Amino acid sequence: MTCEELIDYLSDYLDHELDTDLVRAAKDHLATCERCQIVLHTTEGVISLGQRQQRRILPPARRERLFARLQSAFLSAAGDGHE
Amino acid sequence: MTPSPLKCRWSKKVTIPLEDGFTRAANESYMHDEMTMISGLRQHDPDVFAAFFDRYADRIYRLALGMLGNASDAEEVTQATFLSALESIASFEPHARVSTWLYRIAHNHALMLLRKRHPSEPLPDESIGMPVPEALVDWSALPEERLLSEEAQETLLAAISELPEGLRAAFVLRDIEQLSTAECAHVQGITESSCKVRLHRARLLLRERLTAYFGEWVGETRKQPQP
Repeated sequence: MTCEELIDYLSDYLDHELDTDLVRAAKDHLATCERCQIVLHTTEGVISLGQRQQRRILPPARRERLFARLQSAFLSAAGDGHE
Repeated sequence: MTPSPLKCRWSKKVTIPLEDGFTRAANESYMHDEMTMISGLRQHDPDVFAAFFDRYADRIYRLALGMLGNASDAEEVTQATFLSALESIASFEPHARVSTWLYRIAHNHALMLLRKRHPSEPLPDESIGMPVPEALVDWSALPEERLLSEEAQETLLAAISELPEGLRAAFVLRDIEQLSTAECAHVQGITESSCKVRLHRARLLLRERLTAYFGEWVGETRKQPQP
């Protein structure tokens, strides 16, 4: 496997969506290519940091304001529906 | 009647479990639970609405924030998403997951707002080639406090918002919101293979940007190793 092929397959490799033969070829390539090891490790880092973004929540002030507006709209629609 | 968010939100127990880490049985239970929630919304139950908002608001906000890059626009899209969902709750299809349905509505609203903000900007993601890795500094072993700092998180968010439009949603939906490739494709209205290509491009572009940021912490920039 070449560096170019490794980069092409990188996401499939990281997502465990690569065929066994290609996984073996990728591992063989990575064992001897420091450049591709760096790309692999740092791409894993990007994914890991992305997962941490899941902790981001609506800031409390925005959340309360948004909820109040939407709740008002919901209750208003409920009132219309019952008329 | 003046809305009383806090009182209403917690005045009655509405138990809706989280959807992460299902088993088959748990999934069936979840789907049943989702239909109970939809039914409650159709009956205009304010406590069900509060639980509905609590369960999905952060997820919708994160997708919008990733696609739009600023909190005010993300709030606007989150509001528009909930309003659209409530208007069309009668036609919700029971076989769909509520979260995927909402993400799709949010994605459409975010695209509409992007078009409004940048009416002449093309969608460049389909025309660019695959990014070639150029930045070759290994920052993955930096201390956690550096990698997980608030500044690093803000840098990632800024980098996501600078991606070509189509790539932003792919990264947010797959790598942040942890949707499957099929769900990610459905939300964006594209094929699974297109979704995978977009995700791959997004990861490589973000890797370049984050390497530029983290590289300075690694110390002396290394010479590029030879292939």
